[in-house]
Amino acid sequence: MDVLPGEVPIAYTEVPGRGVPVLLLHGFGSGYDANWVRAGWPHALDGLAHIGVDLRGHGGSGRPRDAGAYRPAAMAGDLERLLDALGVQRCDVLAYSMGSRIAWEFALTRPDRVRRAVLGGFGPVDAFAGTDLDRLDAPDGGPFTEVFRAAAAQPGADPAALAACARGQAAHPFTADPAPAGVPLLFVAGEHDTLASGVEDVARAVGAAPAVRVPRRDHRTAVSARAFKTAAVGFLTRGVRPLSGV
Amino acid sequence: MAEVTFTLPDLGEGLVEASVLEWLVAPGDTVERNAPLVELETAKSAVEIPSPHAGTVARVHAEEGAVVAVGAPLVTFEVADAPGIVGTVPRAEKPTRRVRLTPPKE
Repeated sequence: MDVLPGEVPIAYTEVPGRGVPVLLLHGFGSGYDANWVRAGWPHALDGLAHIGVDLRGHGGSGRPRDAGAYRPAAMAGDLERLLDALGVQRCDVLAYSMGSRIAWEFALTRPDRVRRAVLGGFGPVDAFAGTDLDRLDAPDGGPFTEVFRAAAAQPGADPAALAACARGQAAHPFTADPAPAGVPLLFVAGEHDTLASGVEDVARAVGAAPAVRVPRRDHRTAVSARAFKTAAVGFLTRGVRPLSGV
Repeated sequence: MAEVTFTLPDLGEGLVEASVLEWLVAPGDTVERNAPLVELETAKSAVEIPSPHAGTVARVHAEEGAVVAVGAPLVTFEVADAPGIVGTVPRAEKPTRRVRLTPPKE
């Protein structure tokens, strides 16, 4: 991956291709490679230009240890900085879980930079509810501690940065109002993804197409699903005339 | 034609097994090299395995939901007879390892 230098360096991979580049945003404790590459997305994107990012606190990017550095606004700011550096005025966004929260923030505050966005594994439920974020290592800390422990156990993970990231996110809970203006959104989640509970309501409230539920998949296993890929690529390429010879 | 069996590769990160989420091919299908073959669930994530061969799927060795150990048979292909020793596949890994053994001078 390349690295955009700065106060918080951001690791990214730019893959040339056709169309508006698709910015890929991973979930908590994951990274571009684990979330998207290993799940087969570069093949699924079928020649579309894309930019894979490691969000701050993750992968090859900078790892601040203070929770304030992980405000959704700060994480969305990284995306704008990256697009500016790459000379990309407008992109599509394909995001999962926490990445979808950041994508929403980005589309809300910079609607001129986002053409369309696919928000996967995401809903209005507070993933941190009932979890003591100051005791993420505790066995009885709450439902999110399991997610945290799995993320912190990944090779190369930085538990202190991830804990700060969780606190920074939790301090700014998602609200569906206001919604991004003029940015078409597609919501996709596994049929059994409880973290995406209520996503149907959000899709309805913002006037998006009905949320796509991937049969027999949960929050973890929907990522690689064919139905997710088909829905996302269909949404991102809808109405776009293929180049001749493609 | 020759048969080649693809075993579950080392998925890294100390993972020793994976379960089959969904087959993306069925016996009789013609597949190209690097085409999506199967989705697997590991203890850490969901992954899609690309086909290491071009050929025809002869049979799959694990049903959806089954747990497969690293090194166990996953799928058998019928492939065109290749020159050289049948059943061995040139892999890109060996040259890479060789490079790692003699790192370039900084």
